[in-house]
Amino acid sequence: MSALELDQVRKVYGEGDQQVVALDDVALTVPDDEMLILIGPSGSGKTTLLTVAGALLRPSSGVVRVGGADVTALSDAEQAQFRRDEVGFVFQSVNLVPFLTAKENLLAVRQFGGRRIDAAAKQRASQLLDELGLGDRADRLPSELSGGQKQRVAIGRALMNEPSLVLVDEPTSALDSKLGQQVMEVLTSEIKQRGVAAIVVTHDERVVDFGDRTVEIVDGVLRT
Amino acid sequence: MNLATKELRRQPRRFGAVGVALTLLVVLLVVLGGFLDGLERSQTGAYRAHEGLLLAFADDADRQVQRSEVTAAVAEGAAGVEGVAAVGGLDRAFTVAAVDGELVDIVLFGHDLATDRIPAPSPDAAVVVDAQLRAQTGVSVGDSIDIGAGGGASGGLEVEVVEVIDDLTQGAPTVWTTTERWRELVAAVNPAGVPADGGHQALVIALDDGADVDAVRADLATLGLDAVTPAEAVEALDVVQQQSSTFSGIIGVTFVVTLLVVALFFALLTLERVDLYAVLKALGASSGELLRGVSIQAAAVSVVAVALGMALALGFVAVLPPELPVRLQGARLVQIAVGTVLTAVIGSLFTARRLLRIDPAEAIG
Repeated sequence: MSALELDQVRKVYGEGDQQVVALDDVALTVPDDEMLILIGPSGSGKTTLLTVAGALLRPSSGVVRVGGADVTALSDAEQAQFRRDEVGFVFQSVNLVPFLTAKENLLAVRQFGGRRIDAAAKQRASQLLDELGLGDRADRLPSELSGGQKQRVAIGRALMNEPSLVLVDEPTSALDSKLGQQVMEVLTSEIKQRGVAAIVVTHDERVVDFGDRTVEIVDGVLRT
Repeated sequence: MNLATKELRRQPRRFGAVGVALTLLVVLLVVLGGFLDGLERSQTGAYRAHEGLLLAFADDADRQVQRSEVTAAVAEGAAGVEGVAAVGGLDRAFTVAAVDGELVDIVLFGHDLATDRIPAPSPDAAVVVDAQLRAQTGVSVGDSIDIGAGGGASGGLEVEVVEVIDDLTQGAPTVWTTTERWRELVAAVNPAGVPADGGHQALVIALDDGADVDAVRADLATLGLDAVTPAEAVEALDVVQQQSSTFSGIIGVTFVVTLLVVALFFALLTLERVDLYAVLKALGASSGELLRGVSIQAAAVSVVAVALGMALALGFVAVLPPELPVRLQGARLVQIAVGTVLTAVIGSLFTARRLLRIDPAEAIG
C-alpha cells in the first residue's frame, strides 16, 4: 500500500477571471520508504501540493489518500487528529515554540488531543535528540540554538509521533551550504531508518541528490 | 506539560501589562466593596443588633420605621400569637445630644427587649450609648449627656450613660433608653413624633424556641403587621437601597472594564501568535486546546492579580482615615476574587472566534 496517493487532485484559488489553478489534476503516488524531492519555480504549486498532502488544505476536487485512507473526507477535527498521528511537518521557518526547550518542543506534539506525556514519550524524545546530535542541547530554548540545531529539533518534532508521512518545506533555505548538507544528511538518515515516506519541497538543487526520486511541478502540473 | 503554563512561567513579562491592570482593578473593586459594606453598616447597626428576632412594622409602612405606627391593641394582639414569646416596642427619633457642650447628631431609640447586643433598658434616667458616640465625643460610663434641643438650658433632658455598647450606628450614633423615657425625651422636642398612648413605631418580636416563623409571620400579617427579619428590614431601607444600587452599578461597570481589558489583551496576544497557533494547529492541536490554554493563562494571571490586588487594597484601607466608612468583609472579598477570575476567563473566551479562524495552512508558505 502506498504511503501517499494523490488522485486527480485539483486546487483552484479565487473565482471567475481571478481564478488561479494551483494544482491541475495532479496524480502522484509515494510508496513507503521513498523520499521524493519536489522542485519547481516559485508559484508553481509546490507548497499547495504539500499542504493538500498534509491535510492542511482541502483540494477543490480529487482524492488524497494516506495509508489507503481518504483524508479529504475527514472533518476539521478528524483532519487535526490525522495530522497529529500520521503526518510529520518540517516547516521552512522552523517554527519551534519559543518558550519550550528542544525536548519540550518534541513532547508538545505528543500531548495534543489530550494525551499524556509518559515516560516512554520522554525516552523517545531524548533518543531522537541523541540521534540528531542534540543530546546535550535538550534543555536549551530555541533562542539558545543555532539555525542548524533548530532545524534538527524540527526534524525530531516531525518524527516524534512516528508518522507514516513526513512533509518537509524548504529545509535548507535558511542555512548555509555546509549546514544545509548536514541537515539533509540527518533528515535522510532518520527517514530512511524508519522506512517513512517523505516529500521534500526545495529550490536547492543540492538537495536533489538526497532523494530517491525527483518530481518537478510547473504551473500546477507534475513533470516526472 | 502544558504550553500555557510553560509560557506563563518562562515569559511572565508578556503578561505584565494585563497583570498590572487587573491588580489595579481588583484594588478598585475591593475599596468600592469596602465602601459599600461600610456605608451599609453605618446605616443599619440598630437593625442588625436585633439578629434572631423579628421586626414588625405597620403593613402600609413599606418597612420604614418613620412611616410605621403600631397601636397598643395590635401590639397586644401580637403578644397573643402562637409562637411569640415576647413583644416589645421599638421607637426611633433623630435628635441631638450635648456632651460637654459639644453637640452631635444622634438617633435616639426607645426599646423594651434586650438583644444579644443591646442590654435591657434601664428604668432610671439612664441611657446606653454606642461606641460610635464614644469615639466622636469621648463620652464614657457615668457621664451625663443632654438629649434634645441643644442642652439642658435650652430644653434638653439630662441623662446618665450607664453602658457603652458596640457601634450600632444607623445614620448617626445611637442612644438607647426605655420606650417610656423615649416618649418623654421626644415629646419635649417634637410632640407630634410621639405615637399614641401605648403604641409604638415598630415592634420587636421574640419567638418561642422551635416556632414556625412563617406561620407566626402569617398570623401577624392578619393583625396588619409586616414582620420581617433584621436583614429584610435593612434591605428595605431607602438609604441602603440607594447606596447599594449606586455602588453595585459602579462595581458592575468595573467588572465590565475588567472583562474588556482581558478580552482586548488576549485578542492582541492572539494576533501576535497567529503564526505560532497556525503551526500548533498544523501539528494537530485543536482550536479547543488552544482556547483552553488562553483561558488557563487568563485564570492564572487573574489569580495572581487578585492576590496582589487584595494585599494592596488591605494596605490602602489600613491607611485611610478612620472616619471613612470602609469595611472589608470576607464574603465580599470572596465575591470579588471569584468574580474577577470568572470575568477574566470569560474575557479570554472572546478570542475564540479569532482562534477558530486561524488556518493551519498558514504554517506553510
